Amino acid sequence: MKDKIMSLKEAIELYVEDGDLIGIGGLSFWRKATAATREIIRQKKKNLGVVSFVGGICADMLIGAGCLDRIRTSFIGMELFGLAPNHRRAVGAGQIKVFEETEATIALGLKAIYLKLPFLPLRGLLETDILKVRDDIKEFNCPLTGDKLVACPPIQVDVAIIHVPYADEKGNGNIQGPVWLDDDLAKTAKKTIVTCEKIVETEDIIHFQGKGQIPMQKVDAVVKVPFGAHPTSCFPFYTYDADHMMKYIQYCQTADGFKEYEKEYIAVASHEEYLEKIGGIKEILKIMT
Amino acid sequence: MVDYTTDELLTILMARQVTNKDVMIVGVATPIVWSAFTLAKVTHAPDAIFHYLMGNTFVWEARQVSLLWLELGAASRCHRLHNTGECTLELLPHDILTTIEFFRPAQIDQFGNTNNTVIGDWHKPKVRLPGAAGIPDFSGLYSAGQHLYVPRHDKRTFVPAEKLFFRSGVGFVDGTRPLTDYGLIGRGPKFVITNLAYLDFDPKEHRMRIKTVHPGVTVEEVQENTGFELLKAPDLKETKPPTETEVRILREKVDPLGIRKLEVLTGKERAELLEEIIRKEYSRVDRMPPRL
Repeated sequence: MKDKIMSLKEAIELYVEDGDLIGIGGLSFWRKATAATREIIRQKKKNLGVVSFVGGICADMLIGAGCLDRIRTSFIGMELFGLAPNHRRAVGAGQIKVFEETEATIALGLKAIYLKLPFLPLRGLLETDILKVRDDIKEFNCPLTGDKLVACPPIQVDVAIIHVPYADEKGNGNIQGPVWLDDDLAKTAKKTIVTCEKIVETEDIIHFQGKGQIPMQKVDAVVKVPFGAHPTSCFPFYTYDADHMMKYIQYCQTADGFKEYEKEYIAVASHEEYLEKIGGIKEILKIMT
Repeated sequence: MVDYTTDELLTILMARQVTNKDVMIVGVATPIVWSAFTLAKVTHAPDAIFHYLMGNTFVWEARQVSLLWLELGAASRCHRLHNTGECTLELLPHDILTTIEFFRPAQIDQFGNTNNTVIGDWHKPKVRLPGAAGIPDFSGLYSAGQHLYVPRHDKRTFVPAEKLFFRSGVGFVDGTRPLTDYGLIGRGPKFVITNLAYLDFDPKEHRMRIKTVHPGVTVEEVQENTGFELLKAPDLKETKPPTETEVRILREKVDPLGIRKLEVLTGKERAELLEEIIRKEYSRVDRMPPRL
């Protein structure tokens, strides 16, 4: 059996290339692959794109660090804590290209990959300005009924990066709570990296609620990174770290401020050092469910 | 008369729109909507079902509104875990499943078209907003009409059609033709609940009109805070104010931490409340929000 268990450094070196479109799982503050994102920044990957159903701190950090040149999300923000600061600044300055997505354009874009179709039809977006800023989404008339519909193109992800509570050595990933688009991202991407809180035996995955939503045949790397979603949540273990989110937003008021944040929390020697920096055991106990 | 605050008025008016057979779609970071649905569930709509976008889940039971521990209620007490693809398909506005969802526009025009995408030119925006999520997909499809709310009724939000920076949600387009001409199968926007008034749309002209003004607010005041001319409903009257029971249940049971207020407050007051909520929630020994 191919050994899929490896370090974060190895996984990102092996499977993330400059220019890739990365699919990041989770949703804004919830179960985001933040440890993997920090490693991408440390390895100074360039000209990446991010596709996320709802983007948050991962895409924002990658923008701040200059790793991204394009973004595809239906929504990106810091929930009730405010706008995604680096994203707002970079888009305002025209530094990154925005693919204006919606929930359905992403959901259908991934489904079109399974079906090997050039588009999937949607009865939505009509009369919205999305059609003015996306020349690859087009209105057409249904060949059967003549109804006005919209054609949504496929979205081919190069590498999906998904953080899950449990994974086994074969690459089965189990998500206990919300799945969002993570299974579609993993199943349609050319490569998939799974980071997890715990490595368990396949026998355990069989008995977990939801079983292995991320299937082994689609997974290239399994990396154990406890608290690898901090400062976002990982159900059922911990919720998001509101204090750190506010600290992040505070740092990111300027581009230089993000550089300070990067120096302090991203350019660290190890994940253990990161967990010490964010406040160690006290902060960990604060967010545990 | 019962004392109430703006956030309580909005929440209670929105709760009254829920019917007993609704699937209530709780979006991300909209505690007024969540409070309204929870209030409806524990008062007049006990059979309504929560659908949390946060969890892609359906949940029967009601729990106290929470800022930090909501995933516990949304994910560990659900009856179904979705993936988003299924969820988007199943929850498209449906004629059989009666979904209710409230959108909060950053801008809205007289025809109910909305913008949640950018302030300024899309190509070089003054402020890039988070994005419109599913609004462009769903806004033209609601057979029961679109529900909108605006916590701060002002001319920055209520703008004439030519000043709408980006149309991310479709209303009655330019008001001149039936929606079916554009290929839209929904009924268009149904109402906008604001801190000043309840606005609906004239059935012939498809333009926004004042249906009721909230107690203590004048028709002139509503007009002065709107960037286009509002029509007036022939039966224009005063909004039925919150009852003592509605206010009490909301304050004491549904959202005692006042999380809903984060959608209304600004500046220092908001920052202080946010800090207070975070400290209270992290200091709880039992993380699960109380069942109502």
